[in-house]
Parts: sequence; C-alpha cells; structure tokens
Amino acid sequence: MSHDVSRRVFVKAGALSLVSLGFDPLFLGRTAYAQRVPARGPGSKTLVCIFQRGAVDGLSMIVPYADEWYYRERRRIVVPRPGSAPDAALDLDRRFGLHPRLGALKPLFDAGQLAIVEAVGSPDPSRSHFDAQDFMETGTPGDRATRDGWLNRCLAHDREHRDTPFRGVAMGPQLPRALQGSAPALAIGDLQAFGIRAPEPARDRLTAAFEALWSGAETGIVASTAAESFEAIRQLRAANPAQYRPADGVAYPAGPLGHALLQVAQLVKADLGAEILFVDVGGWDTHVNQGNGANGELATRLDDFGQALAAFARDLGERMADVVVLTMSEFGRTIRENGDAGTDHGHATAMFVLGGPVRGGRVLGRWPGLAPEQRFEGRDLAVTTDFRDLFGEVAARHLGVAQLEVLFPGYDLSADRFPGVLA
Amino acid sequence: MRKLLSPLLVALAACAHHGPADLAPLSLPPDSVVLPVADSAAAVHLLERFAFGARPGDIAHVEAVGIRGWLEEQLNPSRLDDAAGDSALRQYRLALRDPADLYADYAPGPPAARADSAARRHQMEGERRLAGAVMMSALARHIASRRQLLEVMTDFWTNHFNVFMAKGADRWLTADFVEHAIRPHALGRFEDLLVATATHPAMLVYLDNAQSVAPGSHPPGRPALAVMPRRGFAPMFPPLPAPPRAEAGLNENYARELMELHTLGVDGGYTQEDVIGVARILTGWGVAQPRRMGVGRYAFEFHAWAHDAGSKTVLGVEFPSGHGMDEGRKLLHLLAEHPATARHLSHQLCARFVADAPPDGCVDAAVAAWRRTGGDIRAVLVAIAASPDFWAPENRAAKFKAPLAFVASAVRALDGAPDTTARLVGALQQLGEPLFMHLTPDGYQDAAADWLNSGAILTRMNLALALASGRMPGVTVDLDRLAPVTSDYDALVRNVNAAVLGGQGSEHTLQVIRQQIGDLPNAVNARAMAVGLALGSPDFQRE
Repeated sequence: MSHDVSRRVFVKAGALSLVSLGFDPLFLGRTAYAQRVPARGPGSKTLVCIFQRGAVDGLSMIVPYADEWYYRERRRIVVPRPGSAPDAALDLDRRFGLHPRLGALKPLFDAGQLAIVEAVGSPDPSRSHFDAQDFMETGTPGDRATRDGWLNRCLAHDREHRDTPFRGVAMGPQLPRALQGSAPALAIGDLQAFGIRAPEPARDRLTAAFEALWSGAETGIVASTAAESFEAIRQLRAANPAQYRPADGVAYPAGPLGHALLQVAQLVKADLGAEILFVDVGGWDTHVNQGNGANGELATRLDDFGQALAAFARDLGERMADVVVLTMSEFGRTIRENGDAGTDHGHATAMFVLGGPVRGGRVLGRWPGLAPEQRFEGRDLAVTTDFRDLFGEVAARHLGVAQLEVLFPGYDLSADRFPGVLA
Repeated sequence: MRKLLSPLLVALAACAHHGPADLAPLSLPPDSVVLPVADSAAAVHLLERFAFGARPGDIAHVEAVGIRGWLEEQLNPSRLDDAAGDSALRQYRLALRDPADLYADYAPGPPAARADSAARRHQMEGERRLAGAVMMSALARHIASRRQLLEVMTDFWTNHFNVFMAKGADRWLTADFVEHAIRPHALGRFEDLLVATATHPAMLVYLDNAQSVAPGSHPPGRPALAVMPRRGFAPMFPPLPAPPRAEAGLNENYARELMELHTLGVDGGYTQEDVIGVARILTGWGVAQPRRMGVGRYAFEFHAWAHDAGSKTVLGVEFPSGHGMDEGRKLLHLLAEHPATARHLSHQLCARFVADAPPDGCVDAAVAAWRRTGGDIRAVLVAIAASPDFWAPENRAAKFKAPLAFVASAVRALDGAPDTTARLVGALQQLGEPLFMHLTPDGYQDAAADWLNSGAILTRMNLALALASGRMPGVTVDLDRLAPVTSDYDALVRNVNAAVLGGQGSEHTLQVIRQQIGDLPNAVNARAMAVGLALGSPDFQRE
C-alpha cells in the first residue's frame, strides 16, 4: 500500500515542487493557458466531489444501531434496528445500517464499490456552517487566510494536462471555494446553454467580438477567466457531450442533483479531460422535523441522494473503473434530538467513497462511541478521522498527487493515516 | 478627519433615536467633512457604489450639485420625490399585502383539495406569482427609485439579515420583513434595525427561534398552538416546521447566527456557552399566526410560558432570572453596542463600498464614526465616503459587480423599466443571485472571487446582448433617447460610451466595439451590437 504511494510520489514530485503554496497570487493572474494538446482519453482518472451543504446528519445516513446511546438520545427521529420494522436500517456490518431511503446504494456496497468512512470531520471545533465549509474547502482547518481551495491546488499539481479547460468543473452557476485558485476551473450550470446564444452565423461573429473585447482589455484573473470561457466554448462544441444519453434503463431522479450528475457523466464520457468535478447539494440543515426512516425532510433528501448516485454509477458502467465519487459535509449533527424533532450543529459525520478503484463493502474509520464520556465537548460525535486523511488518500491513490503538504499545508499526512478506502 | 467630522457626528447622535420615516434632516456643512470635487470620473465612482449605477442624467446631476450635495440628498431620502419608485412598486403590489391575507389567499387548501391536480397546479402558479412579485418589488425599486442610497442600503441589510423566502411562512412574510424591518431602518440606527429583525416573524421562522422554548415548558390552556399554514406543493418550498409542542426545547440556530453573522462576527469572542445563553434568553420570542383563514395576523409574540426562567450569562454579562422579554432587549443592546459589532459591520460596509479587502484606513474611520454615534448608519456612510481610501485610484472600478448590481445598473444605464411581469428576476436567477432565495443565513457574498467565473461571464454577455436588442424578457428599453441610430459609427461609439460606460470606457473596449460594427450595413443592428458589447464588456462588469 505504502509502496504504491511512494512510487507515485516520485512520478509527480517534480511538477508539484513548482507550485508555491499559500502565496499563490490569485488575483495577479492564473496559470497561463498552454497550447492545446490532445485531451485525455479513457483510462485517465476522474474524481467527483459531492458537497452536502448544511451539515448532513451522519447518524441518520449510517445508523449506529448497535450503539445503545443512539436510541437513548433520539426518539422521534430514529431509524429502527435492521429487521425490526418496515422502515428499518439496512444492515451493513452488524454495527451500522444504511438509512432505508438510501437503499439504492446497498447493491453498490454489497458489490464492494462503495465504502463508508465513519466519524470523519474537521479538527477545528467550529459549528459555523460557513467557517466549517470554508475550512473543508480550503483544506486548512482553523486558518481563514487561505484563499484557494484544496481541489484547485490538486489541479495545479500536474501541469501535463493543463491543455483543457475542463480539468476542474463545478456544476452550477458559481465556482465553489474548493475549486477557486490559480489553476483554471469552470463553473457550468448547463452544458447545453454554455456559450453565446444567438442564431448562426451571428453566434460566431458575436463570440469572436466578445473574445476580442475581453482578451486584450484586461490582465490577470478577469482575462484568464474569459480565455477559459472561449476555449471551453470551442471544445464543448466539438465534443457535443449532449450526444451521450444515459445508459439503457438508467433514470436519474428529477431534481438538481440528478441533473448535475447526468451532466457530469456526459462530461466524463465526452473525454474532455475532466479530472475533478464538483457538485453541490443542499438542504441538510435539519433543525426542525427531520423525520425518521420512513418520512420527513431528511428521508426525502436521502432518497434523491441515493438514487442519483446509483444512477450515476450505472450510467458510467465500466467507466467507473477510473472514477471515484467522494461525498463530504462540513460537520455532523447533535447526537441528541432537539426540541423540534430535529438536530443542531454537531461535529463528526459520515462520508461515502464510491467507484471502481474503491475497496468497498466496508465501514471504515474508528467508531468513537456515543456514550457521554466518548463525545466531543460532551455532546457531539467525536472526529476520529481527519477529513484531510480521507481527502488525501483519494488525491494520492486515485489522482496520483504526491506532495500532500501542498494540498494540506501545515498538516503532516502520511499513508499510515489513510482510512484505507482505495487500494 | 476625526476633528472635522465631530460636529456632524454630535448632531447625528442627538437625533439617533428617530426612525427613518422620521429621519432627522441631515446636512453636511463644508467644514464638517472633506469631499472631493465632482468631476465626471468621481461622479461615476460615487454612483456605482452609493447607487445602482447611473441613469441618463445622473452624472450631470452629481457634477451640478457636487458630491456633498448629492450625498445630502441621498441621506435625506424623504426629501426626494420618488414618484418613479412608487409607481414601480405599484406594479407588484401583491407583494406588499398583509402576510395573513397572502396566507389566506395562497396557502394550500385542505388535503382533499390538494389531491386534485388542477387545484395543485393553480396553487403552484399562485406561489410562483407571489414569489415573482416579491422579488420584483425589490428589483424594480432598486432600478427606478431616486432614493438610490436607501435602495443600496436596503439591499445590503436584507442580505446581511438574510431570510429564505421558500421556508415555511416566510413565503408570506419576506416582503413584509424588507418593508417593515429593514427599509425603515436602512439609514437609521443599527440597534433599531437589529431589534426590528429580531422581532420580525420572518426571522423568527427562518432561524427557528419561534420553535425554541425552555426545555420542559408547556403552553398554557390550549394543548396546541395555532395551526400553521401547511406545506405547499411547489418544489421550491420545503415543508413547514411544525408549531412548538409540549415536548419541544431549545434551538440554537438564531442565537448562533445572531452573534456570528448579524453582530459580533465569527471572531467576536463568544463561546458555545454564550450561544446557549443567548438561545435561553430568547426562548419565548415567538410568532402569533393566523388561527385559520381570515382570522388573526402574523405578529411578534412573547410567550412567557416558553421563557427559560433561570439566570444566564452572555459574554461575561449576568442576566438575572425573572426579567422575561427584557432580557432579550438587554441582550440586543449589549450586542449592538459591542466593539466587535462595530468592527464587523464597518468591515462589511467597507467591503461593499470600498474594496473586497478594504484598507484599514476606511475601516477605522467607519468604526470611529460607529462608536461615536452608537451605530448611526448615516454617520458611518459619510465617514466611508469621506475616507481617502474610497477615492483612491486603486479602489476605483476595482470591484466586480455582483449579479444584482450588474442587472440593475444595466437596466438603469439604458433607462429601462421592468414590465408588469416578473421575468426580469430570471436574469438574477441565471446569474446565481435570486433575491430572497439564499438558503443559508450568510446571504450572498460580495467579492469578485464569488462571482467571477467562466460560466457567469458568458451569462452576462448573453444578458447584455438580449437587453441591447430588446429581447430581454421582462424589461423595456428605449435606445433612441440614449444613442440615436446613426450611420456615423464614430459618433455612435461616443454616445454608447457616454451612455453605458459613463464616458469611462477603455481605449481597447471602444476600439474593439468600433471595429466590430465597422462592416455592419444596418445602423440599427450596429447600435444594438455596440450597446450589447459595451454592457458585456469587462469595463461594465466593474464598479
């Protein structure tokens, strides 16, 4: 395992050492755009990150049904023990059960494509959504001065592939902090609508006019952002990702997450060189009436979440051999239900890792226990896996990033800290 | 500067308690505050920051009355005749109906009726129409009102005290929140604004304080509180929180955001214990609701039965038990006058008005004004406008417009007017800033890094073209008054530069526009293209 990592270390170290960390002059200009070279084909690695904004209740996604404190602290919002009720948890390993509305993921777990990491989170104690999201996206918990994201630094590690504007893509109108930084990254709400909208031939003429307007006028990030836009327009038109229909029998759930993952699949299949793709999904801040295994706000969200991930995995089929999906959320929620049949901001949560390279079928990470003396600050699930250990493993073993201190400056991360989600 | 400002600030402090409907007249005597002479570049800068950009004639007006004169006008909004803003608002009057009436007319009917698909469609249509009207009532006034600084500050504070229109009863309450909690205090005193937001049902619902009760407390008499409106079918609306029940308890949500976002800031020096203390102090701050269709109103209501009877400590200050709602008043006063609040808010205001990473000088000036006047917003704005940092060359055209600023300034530049539909808010939606639809309480961000990306730039170019060619849904523009059709393309480019770019277009931008229209035989098309390119140019994205 560690042998594998160190091999990659040598391959990539040279490129990485070029990147100056933390002092990246974000607003002085992005990495210059290199000449086009052929985009990468099948066999190149893709990471899809899904951020569950609002702090998902990990204790509901992955139910610690063997821990008696779960049932002592929650009454109205519990998921019953496997086999004990119609909407009971789906057993994973005699300790943990999947929320029944995540049932679409169970076959992937059973097939060894899906791993779960329990009690993962940030060493920073903040219970602020915004701080905690920022820390998770910059990769520097506790340090607000970091301006670029860990995924952007991940893109900067490898200069061989800077030819395509699609190396880093966020599906949505805005670039999340995780992808902001000196390496080019795109935000695309809708692949079909990307570009200047006008009938031919006016479209080409207007596109050229705007390109001239923006290219010479500005320097720095405005100019490079514009350059990326026009390059992306050209490549998207040539590749036409919309021609890739979902595989037979695959239906993505209606809703923003299903739509985003469908487009992610199209980008991957179009071989545009997508290396890191980012999708946001909100609605997890369940302070009030979060519901139980059968009904409620959280059950509805989880149903959509599980269906969308399962559809994506089936749609990509064999391409999943080169794809890893990593889910994340800024923190978990209180062990005890609050007065409104909801949960408040907590600490550790659970994350999923899905894909061909995943050593799945296992719930990883040390379980700290829910008993009062085992809790963080006496109330929340303790963090036993630093999120950087998990993210670092995925970056190193899947994307071949060698110098993890570049991704997570100031953090001493070696392979023995990896939770072991990838071979 | 400090010395020069003080007579003004003393005057302000004396009238600090007046509500904004009755904002005391404010003058800026020349010896009280130093402001530069209004050349056209300075006028453009002022209008881009203290207004939603220039309408035709605005730059000349600033040059005529001077920067001091213009600020005086804007700081005394009731003196400005605002027929334009009023008539824009009248088109979306639906938004300003009483929330209880909206509830009566727009809430989903009983379950039987909701099972009927035609009724459901009707219901969803109604909710969409209402949401559109609420968004347009804000956007249309930002565009049309002559009280531009009041509009800018209404937007600033609405975003600062973010609520999410799709959460439960906030469907009916959001417009009322802006109208009665934010707008009257947008140029007033911060503490009044804080109290107004803390006691408005929209905030109490949004951050769950209406649900927060002392553990173990029970409502007296009736077993259950009034029935809340039930879930609508529109997918944009999540289910409504249930009313507090006997077994309900403490909810920390508002308590935390009150300190982190609304007042002290995340570095304001509070602890988790303080969050719990604040939550306990605010138990019982709840909402009275319409009991059934047509009976009762939404209003703030203090539920003594739900109030935590123990003593509390927040930020080292004791709150002895037994003072009921006064504990919360004392708490809000403590937070409003806390030095961390002055610094947090001054920094945010300077980030909006001066630069994404505001220089210390203007922040210090704002803090000083804040503390001398006990948080008088007008005094703080004057201090910012008078700060050398505001006028420094490196801070001119240095901000990247947020989507709202882009859309509002583009329509204003073309002297456009929204039509009676709500289609113009679609532009904000496409650009990622649909008003009142930011789910999390931090509101929309205001820095270039948050809005500057490839997709967004292209969307702006598309909107610019649509607007210039009269194809932008929901707005009418009249280019003839702005830049008459002419076959003299040099003159056309000059006119477009003056009208759209305030005469500040870069040489490169003007050259490219001239070059691109050069071979167009049709002068109407040439004008549309020139205007579209100008609105979609990098110059116009800056403010």
